[in-house]
Amino acid sequence: MIVLFALVVAILFGTGAYLMLKRDLIRVVAGIILISNAVILFIIAAGLTRGRAPIYPLPEGEPISDPLVQAMALTAIVISFGITALLLSLVYRVYTTRETVDKEDLSLAEAEDERQLEVERRA
Amino acid sequence: MTVLLPLLLALGAAPVVLVAGVLGARPAAWASIVMAALACGATLWGRWAGGGALDVAWAPSWGLRLTFALDGLAVLYALLATGIGVAVLLYSARYLPLHLEHQGRPARDAIRFYALIVLFMGAMVGLVMAQDLLLIFVFWDLTAIASYYLIGYDRHKAESRAAALMALLVTGISAVLLLIGLLLLQALYGTFALPAIVERATPGPAQTLAAGLIAAGALVKSAQVPAHFWLPRAMAAPTPVSAYLHSAAMVAAGVFLLGRIYPLLRLSPFLLDLLLVVGLLSMIFGSVLALTRDVLKQILAYSTIAQYGYVVVMLSLGTSAGVVGAAFYVIAHALAKSALFLTAGTVTEVTGEDRLSRLGGQWRGLPVLAAASGVAAAGLGALPLTIGFFKDELFFKAALERGWPFAALATLGAALTLAYVWHFWSGIFLGPLRGEAGRPPLPLVAPIVALGLLVAVGGVAVAPAADLAEAAGRVAFADLQPVEPAYHLDARPENLLALATYALAATIIAARPRWFRLAAATARLGERVGPERWYAAGLVRLNRSSRALLALEVRDLRSRIATVLVPTAVLVAIGLWATPTEGAFRVGRITVTDLPTVLGLLLAAVGALVATVPRRPLTLILALSSVGYSLAAVFAFLGAPDVALVAVLIETILTLLFLGVLALFPAELLKDQAVGPAPRPSLRWRNVGVGLGAGAFAFAVGWATLSQPAAQESVAVQHIRLTPAAHAKDVVTAILADFRGLDTMGEITVIAIALLGIAALLGRRERPMASDERRATSDERASGEEKRRREGR
Repeated sequence: MIVLFALVVAILFGTGAYLMLKRDLIRVVAGIILISNAVILFIIAAGLTRGRAPIYPLPEGEPISDPLVQAMALTAIVISFGITALLLSLVYRVYTTRETVDKEDLSLAEAEDERQLEVERRA
Repeated sequence: MTVLLPLLLALGAAPVVLVAGVLGARPAAWASIVMAALACGATLWGRWAGGGALDVAWAPSWGLRLTFALDGLAVLYALLATGIGVAVLLYSARYLPLHLEHQGRPARDAIRFYALIVLFMGAMVGLVMAQDLLLIFVFWDLTAIASYYLIGYDRHKAESRAAALMALLVTGISAVLLLIGLLLLQALYGTFALPAIVERATPGPAQTLAAGLIAAGALVKSAQVPAHFWLPRAMAAPTPVSAYLHSAAMVAAGVFLLGRIYPLLRLSPFLLDLLLVVGLLSMIFGSVLALTRDVLKQILAYSTIAQYGYVVVMLSLGTSAGVVGAAFYVIAHALAKSALFLTAGTVTEVTGEDRLSRLGGQWRGLPVLAAASGVAAAGLGALPLTIGFFKDELFFKAALERGWPFAALATLGAALTLAYVWHFWSGIFLGPLRGEAGRPPLPLVAPIVALGLLVAVGGVAVAPAADLAEAAGRVAFADLQPVEPAYHLDARPENLLALATYALAATIIAARPRWFRLAAATARLGERVGPERWYAAGLVRLNRSSRALLALEVRDLRSRIATVLVPTAVLVAIGLWATPTEGAFRVGRITVTDLPTVLGLLLAAVGALVATVPRRPLTLILALSSVGYSLAAVFAFLGAPDVALVAVLIETILTLLFLGVLALFPAELLKDQAVGPAPRPSLRWRNVGVGLGAGAFAFAVGWATLSQPAAQESVAVQHIRLTPAAHAKDVVTAILADFRGLDTMGEITVIAIALLGIAALLGRRERPMASDERRATSDERASGEEKRRREGR
């Protein structure tokens, strides 16, 4: 089970990293979502005990799941959602000002802006 | 109390001045004078009360303490910093308004100046009292920062800015050497407390290296060869800054530090000899160059280099007479040099000239100034009846103890000093009248008169200054032999050397036409190939490589992400390779009851892999949400219903949100992205490589961590036990809402901030590049989307 968890965490993380390197900003956001998922799965998998849900009345003699990692995972889920939403609106904002969500186009536009500023400064 | 009062007054001066600055520039000036005078008075009182020490635990678990002590060395340098500070601030109160007026700057700019000067004073007082290596470093850097702003005070002049940057870089880079030396000492002796280190220190290569690094930082601060070039440049600062920083404060910090770590330096004769060479070189080079300069402040700047060369020489002679002599020298030099700097400022202010070749015969118009600065110049030149005579007496005495060659060099240095002091003073005040002088305002003369008086009084009643110097010397030498500077009307060697000095100086002055060309050629050669050139070349290289790095990193966002991911993976790989891992990794069992979990995990993995393939954003989103839902199922099977529930909810909202944002983009843009120009094959494979590397890294870290769960009992056991007491049934909710309630509060704050950010990003209406038509439709959609998002929450 341990190696399986590690493997799935690795797949989620690796695909996330791969998507983050794409030109398209939407895929960057998707990459971050995948990496967040990897982290959440990792936290849950790090629980010391595994078993029934930690809800009273507790089952006699049976192991119960570690509630601490669950609380942490909940926090992580909510915060990663907030960040993703913010990122999405940033992407949208980038589109409204630059009319593109392509990183290379953005870099070009940025370089162009910088050149313009330089020209204005010299003038 | 004896420690705290001067320290608080000095450190609190800058805020007080800034507050007074609300009322205007004049109240700020008075506040700065009063605070400096109070700090000076408090230091005197502290000395009278017998000094003291302050030791407060700051972060005791890390061995960090705030330790200050008002010992002899601290008293001497604190008195100089605050006392000369009062004189300089009195002078500035009149000088600065004139200075700003000439430059057409508002009078309020002066507030910043006063605040920075007293900030410098506070840093200096803190530095000299600090007994902890880290505190020493902090105050050391604070002086560098304050000096940066002070030297670059005329910020509209490129020359000032370059000089300020040079001073900051040169002293800042050398401060790193100092830091390494301090940390090395800590590593060797296990403490940051200087007194303890002095007790434990034993001679050895590591100790020599540490002391050498600290000494290197100190020498650069004191503008010693070959790092002297920043000081003449720093003369671009307003005159009071030069008078303060380059006579009593900034450069004095260097020799102060040498005095502070003297017990460590003493352990290594090699180090002392090295210091001796540096000091002698600075002494000779500084003096010779001072003789060739024409600009008033440049003469004084090179003179400062030479004079601190003397001090370094005396310290490195390694005798108690040398150490006391060095402390005495610092006092005498600070008084005389600050007076001469202020003289240069006043003369330039009333005549408008700053070069010797355009000045002369000014004693007619400025008799008081000529007399006062004449006394100060005599002090620097070590003529009898001034405090300077004793500084050379002690110097000769210390040099004689070491041997005749040193006495000869000392005589040469003293003669050169007298020669350039004459060159400076006679050039301004004697000879045919050159330069029109107005009447100087009283505050531009009074501080010089006061300093000149001190120089003269010190020449008659030498005991107070000698006591100060002796107390300072005791910090370095517990078994100090008292020195009693006095006039002796007999043919002892010191007196003979003094006479030789005067004769030699007269010869040098008389023979000026003969040697001038040679000296000027040396100066030019120094400018051509000297260390300042290295500095400039180094700066250009640094700038170029920084630009190259910037272009490499910032131009391409993807490279930037890769530069974070790849080194992390490499570091983890090195860590794994270096750690013994035999038996550390566990595979873990899979039982029949685990099957649903395994299935969910596999689904999530497949979903993630699928997400890398599609060109259409819609497919991507669906793949993402399948990952999310599969994971939610996994959580449910692992006995985490709360997490599963939230995951399902969040996944739903996220999918809707993603779809909503996609709907805001025009279809053709998405199509562009879908078809798009194919990435260059090299980049494509690089991305795959980075992805694989990141995955491998995550696998290694994840597997290693999950294989080694913490051995001790989890805090969760306690949480489970306490849950009924919190009137809850679900342990997870009890943790979130009760046991770790503050964390949840923080989480809510994060969400609120994110929400504010989203509202700000989406709420702005102007669309600089979109067409009107598109604007109308997307606005509608945006508002609909926002509403949906709110409901989602």
